[in-house]
Order: sequence, then C-alpha cells, then structure tokens
Amino acid sequence: MTALALQMPDRRRLLAMSIPFLAVVGSMVIGLLLIAASGKSVPDSIEAFLDGAFGTAFAFGASINRAVSLSLIGLGFILAARANLTNVGGEGQIAVGGIAATALALWPPIAGLPLGLAVILPLLAGTLAGAFWGGIAGVMKVRFGTNEVISTLLLGFVALLMVYWCVQSTALLRQPQTSSSTLPESLPIPDSTKLAGLTDDPESPLHIGLILCLVLALATAIVLQRSTFGLRLRAIGLNELAARRAGMPGSILLVVALGIAGAFGGLTGAIMLQGEQFYLKAGFSSGYGFDGLVVGLLSRGSTLGVLAGALFFGFLRSGGISMEIMAGVPSALTLVIQGLIVIAVAGSVILVEKLQGGQR
Amino acid sequence: MAQSASPPLLALDGLGKRFGSLQALEGVTLDVQAGTVHCLLGENGAGKSTLCNLIFGVYAPSAGQMRFGERPWLPSSPAEALEQGIAMVHQHFSLVPRMTVVENLMLGQAKGILKRREFGDRIRDIADRFGFVLDPDAVVGELSVGERQRSEIVKCLMRDPKLLVLDEPTAVLPPGEIGALLDICRRVADSGRAVILVTHKLAEIAKVADSVAVLRTGRLVAKADMKTADMGALVHAMVGREVKPLDVALSDSKEADSKEGDSTDAGAAPVRPGFALVCDGLCVQDRHGATRLDNFTLEVRPGEIVGLAGVEGNGQSELGMVLAGLLAPTEGRYFIGETELTHASAAAVTAAGGGIVPEDRHAVACVTAMSVAENMYLNKLDRFTRFGLLQRRALNEAAAVQMKEFDVRAAGPDVAFSGLSGGNQQKAVLGRELTLDPLVALIAAQPTRGLDVSAVEAVYRQIRAAARRGVGVLLISSELDELIAVADRIAVLYRGRLVGERPAEMGERGAIGALMSGQGI
Repeated sequence: MTALALQMPDRRRLLAMSIPFLAVVGSMVIGLLLIAASGKSVPDSIEAFLDGAFGTAFAFGASINRAVSLSLIGLGFILAARANLTNVGGEGQIAVGGIAATALALWPPIAGLPLGLAVILPLLAGTLAGAFWGGIAGVMKVRFGTNEVISTLLLGFVALLMVYWCVQSTALLRQPQTSSSTLPESLPIPDSTKLAGLTDDPESPLHIGLILCLVLALATAIVLQRSTFGLRLRAIGLNELAARRAGMPGSILLVVALGIAGAFGGLTGAIMLQGEQFYLKAGFSSGYGFDGLVVGLLSRGSTLGVLAGALFFGFLRSGGISMEIMAGVPSALTLVIQGLIVIAVAGSVILVEKLQGGQR
Repeated sequence: MAQSASPPLLALDGLGKRFGSLQALEGVTLDVQAGTVHCLLGENGAGKSTLCNLIFGVYAPSAGQMRFGERPWLPSSPAEALEQGIAMVHQHFSLVPRMTVVENLMLGQAKGILKRREFGDRIRDIADRFGFVLDPDAVVGELSVGERQRSEIVKCLMRDPKLLVLDEPTAVLPPGEIGALLDICRRVADSGRAVILVTHKLAEIAKVADSVAVLRTGRLVAKADMKTADMGALVHAMVGREVKPLDVALSDSKEADSKEGDSTDAGAAPVRPGFALVCDGLCVQDRHGATRLDNFTLEVRPGEIVGLAGVEGNGQSELGMVLAGLLAPTEGRYFIGETELTHASAAAVTAAGGGIVPEDRHAVACVTAMSVAENMYLNKLDRFTRFGLLQRRALNEAAAVQMKEFDVRAAGPDVAFSGLSGGNQQKAVLGRELTLDPLVALIAAQPTRGLDVSAVEAVYRQIRAAARRGVGVLLISSELDELIAVADRIAVLYRGRLVGERPAEMGERGAIGALMSGQGI
C-alpha cells in the first residue's frame, strides 16, 4: 500500500495514507461507544485490551504466536489465490495437521529420535496431512469441476468433526479413561516433540515457529515474484485456456496450488499443537483458519501485507480476549468491534485503490 | 426495386450507430414489407446484431431515422418494442429449463391468478395455426433445441407482433430441424407479418427468403430480390475484402516470393518427405450430440500453404481446438510429421512441431495481463528457468530480439500485453509459434482478423517465409481473397465437412464462393 501511495502526488498520497488510519481509529471509537452503551467501563476495557495484547511477556508472546498462525494461513491463501483459487478450508487444514502431528508425537518411537527429528517429523506429518486435505479439493476441481470454495469449506467441517472423533475415542487419540471425569482430550505430547522457545523468559510462550514463519514468508514472496512456478500459477489464474495452450499442465498446477495452501494450514495446526497447546482437544483450531482467510484477503496478494495483517489481527484477538475476561465486555461485542475494524480496513484498501485508479 | 404499392412495414433511412470510436453501423437504408421474409446476411461483427438492437430498442441510433407502420419509430426499450408489435427470438434462449413450456410462457405475460389451462390452449392454437406441434406441459430442459426454439417463437407470437426478428436461428439447429423452422417462418409471413431472419448461412435460408440485404463492416453492401439474386455474388459481398491495395500487395509479393523461391530453391529449401500435417477422418460432436466436424480429412505437405475457406461457424473453431490439442476428437486421427497427436496434450502438439495461431487471440493465445516477454515465451519458460527461478533479464533480452525480428512494436518487453494493438499482439503470437524448434506445421486460424492492412501484410509475409523453409501451413480463414492471394490450394469447409478443393486462383472465386454457401453439393 505504501509503494502504491508513493506514486501519487502529495495531497492524494497524504489522503491515501491517512484513510486506513482514520478508518481504524474511527471504527475503534465506534467500538468504544458500543462498550459504553453496554454499560461497561471504557477505561477499564482499554486497559484490559492493552494488557492482553502487549502488557506482559506472556501476552506479547501469545499475540505473536497467534500472528504466526494467521500468517501461515494467509500465505497459503495468497499462493492459491495467484492461480485464482479461493481456499476457505484453512480451519479444516489446521485440524488435520493437528491430528497428524499429535498422532506422530504421541507415537512412542518418535519422542526418542535425535537431531530434532522428534520435532520435525510431527511438523512434517501435519504439513503433509494438510496438503492431502487441500489436494482433495484440487482433484475434485479438476476432475469434477467442483468449486473449491465449496469443497474446501465442507472438507473443513469434516476435519473439525474428525478432531472431535479422535479425542472422543480411546481407540484413536483420547487419553486413557481412568475415571468418569477424564476429559475428551489427547495425552500431552512429550517434551522432546515440543517447539523450542525463542527467549529465556519462562513466562514467554514465544517459540521458533516465528522463525519458520518468516522463512516461509520469504520463500512465498520469492515463489510468487521470481519463480517460473509462480508465473505459471499466475497464467493459469488469469487465463486457464491460454496457459493450457502454452503447454502448462493446468490440472496439476491447480491441484498443487491447493495442496500447498493446505500444507500451510496443516503446518499451522502442527505448530499450534507442538508450540503452545501440547494436547489435542475438540475445537483447538478456534477460528484461526477463518481469521487467516481474512488476513489473506486483505493482503491483496502481498506477502508483506499478510505479515502486517496477521500482526494486527494477532494483537486484536489477544486484546479482545483479555477485554472479555478482565473487563467483562461480552464476547459478541468484541467480535462486533473486530468485524467493524475489518470492514474499515477492507473498505479503505478499496478506496485507496480507487484513488490510484483515478490517477492513471 | 419497384416495391409493391403498399408502404413498407419497417423503413430504415440512413441508420447509423457509433460506439465510442467504433462505427458499428453506417448509412443503412432498408425497407421491410409486411408479409415477407427478409434475410439479413453478414459475418460475425458485420453489424447485424447492432441493427437488430436498434430496431428492438436496446440502443438508440446515433444517425438516421426509422419508421414502423405509419409512425416514426424510436423505441426507448425492448419492452416498448414488444408493446408496439416487434418481437425478437434471440440466439440464446431465455427459458427456464426446469419449468414447463406453459410456465415459461406465462412468465412476464400472465398476471394475477395463473390460468394454465387457458394458456396451454393458446399455445396449442398458435402451434396449430403455424403448422407445428408443441406440448405445453413438457419440461423445457427435456426438449430438443428445435422444440425450445419453437417455444421461443410461440412466446413471441402470443404477443401478436407485426414484425418477428430471428437472430441466427439456424446456428443452433441440427440440419433436420432447419426445414421445419423455415416452414414456420413462411407461415408467419403469410399471415401478414414480416419476418427478419439474421444469418450468415445463406444457402439454408435461400428457400424461404423473399429479399435479402448484406451487411459488411457496418455498411449495407448489397440488396437483392431473392428470385433474381446471384448467390455467389451475395457470398462475395458478405466475405469479400474491399481494400484493393492490399490484394495487389499480396498478389505482388506472392509472385515475388515464388520467383525468389525458384532461384534459391535448389540448394536452400529443405523439403521433407511425407506430410507435415495429416487429418484423417476427424469428427467432433458437441455436448448436445450435434456434429460440428464431420469426417474431416486433409493432408498438408511440407512447404505447402493450404487454405481452408468457409463461412464462420462451419466447424473451423472445433477443428482449430482439435489441432491445438485442446479438444479430443470424437473420431479420427491427427498427425504432425510422424507423430500421432489425436489425444495428445497441447504441450505434445508444441513438442511435435505444431505451431498454433488460435482464432480467438484473447481467449487462447495470450494472457493479456502479463508482459509481452512473458507472452512471447509462454510455452518456453523452461528455457529461462534456473533453480526454479525465472531469469527475467534473459527473458526480456530474448524477447527484445524477437520483437525486433517480428516487428512487434511496444514500449519494451516488460509492458503489459494488453497495451499492444491487435496487429502487434498477433505478430508476437506468430513469432512465438514460428520460433518453435522443430517447426513442422503451422495452423493459423483467422490470423488477420481485426488487423490493419500493414499488419495483415506482415502476418502473411511471415507465414510465406515459414512455408519456404519447409513448414506445412494450414490457413483457416473466411477472407476468400486473402486465401487466394496466399495459399497454394483451397479446401472448403461447409457444415463441418470438406465439400471441395480448388486451386487458389482468382478465376476460381465464383466456384469457391458457391461451395462456401453450400451450393452445388
């Protein structure tokens, strides 16, 4: 957006840069008014929000971890979007990734493996499971013409129920039932399969998933902008018939693109499991797939946009949760406020592009 | 000429329509009498649809006047045209497939309480009166194309129009149903109404038309009474190219080429034995089971340019898609050189040395949002790939060289392809396909469509040069004069079948024109 704004004369540039800012501030003000109207204390809410987002090492680390998950989903989304595919199945891809990573991490031989393999193999298993899940939608698209929006979404529901099934059945991943109060969860994964922390601070949940995410973001940027594969995805996305005429393997490219998007989702699930949650439970993906989708959509195909959006959403979500818990703001209301901010950002992006369009 | 004493039902006087810088229609003066079938002939893009849309009130004319009946005619909308007695059957039907005929026909006509029985009876009455059968309770989705078309016609006739316009009504019909449609048209005309039939297939409607008008590039180029009309002349009027200097240029360079070729032939031209391109009994059926290409057999030798003439819509598109590797033929085989490509992919066609210039440049030949360089090497990107990364500088440099060689004029290799003129786009596509290695056969479909005169010349110069190098060329075109100027022999496609072959000489124009219009088969 800044690169885009730089091409404009001063007044327009100023306007273009201030629009998103004003939009966010405006929607926040509306949010605070809503909080006031609901009878909660506005200063308390603000304090709770800031505390939850940045206040402590724990809060900060949790926000960043959240941003990592959202970035990975967003990266997968923009990669598939380059081929004109819309992957809305991030949530389900996270789920299958989490299942696969848990299953492998809990398999006794894995925990004892040297050279970090105990961490890497479950991560890979999650990635592959996600790729498979995305690939199914790809195959359905090229073989039967099923719209990927529908197939990825429905496969997502299937995956979420699979998590439920896995943690309800002791034959699968549920921990041994010793009493009637045993929760429907998996056993915690062994320490050797957990992602290493990034800081010495024991309070901080920040883990090396952040490094992995940044490396993958760089790789995605290179693939999209510099690689022949990226150019082929673009050609397929812009004009499938011409791409096929030019000898590109259209069907394979589409399946691979959705497979990669799914792989990002599966990896996200594995990272969430091995980095923070450590045991599988129903609903562990908690909407990250859909938030990541929004991040991907708002980024307009830019890798940096994905990272920025994910950071923004990471802090927003953490602060929102804290607002619920500490200031008693109803969760529905925090969601409304977050929705307002999304609309404001999306709207201002469109407005900025219009301004630029008028320039040409 | 001397029209009957009664004033015309519809009179157009100097009608013109301009869209931005495009003059779609200019100075059209035409009378349509009540009780007659009037045929409007012209190629795609000749202005037929624009003319219909003016009459039907979709657009307002930018010049000229119309009269309908007694009054000046300037409908503000299709609804007003319908109200005043003009009805139109569009090429694409507007019927809801899952509803019955009577339900479809009640849409927009019935108000308040639905009287199915009464409507059904009216449908049967109309069908009876005009000599056909239509079951009002049949579900539209289960009807044949012809029956669906009859439903549309009944829908129009229920409004009791004075003028019925049919846009390309025969294009969608299988051969067996065309006769029935023409009978209906005759009866509608005999009931005192006027019928305008829009088509580019003259022979099919010749039986029923009373008079005919030919449109080309927005102008009325011929009017005739069907009883006395010369069919060959009408087809020429429809497809002929009027740019005289071009023909001369083409003919001259053809002679110059052949002379040049004679002098250097002995050593240079590597004439390969065998065939460059072989089509053996290719058939294509569309989704509805209609035969689009029927037992198409043709051989092109190395160094030969074979022209495939025909009015558009006679199977050229399907043939082009089959030869490009984008459509599997229902039957038959296809070879380039020694390689069988019948069910091969587009990549295999390219690898076997088949250069393809598709008829629809924007849909098939290029990705307009990508750069000129990317488009010129779209099928050769591997050449510029190292470790998976695209060597953009090398790509742009190579493209710059090729742009010079093929005279592609653009600000640079990295500008968007969409910014190029049609001629430069086509030269870029041609350059891409002509630089295949090996190049055995070139299949160029309507390669000069929409190009200006100089671009047309450049395209044909390149095609001829390729033939001199020993490439077998199949040139699919509806521009007869161009084919005569460029090709060695001309085969004619009509209704998906090869109906004849003639030498590419000016003296054969009449014979080829007759074949194109389906005469003498």
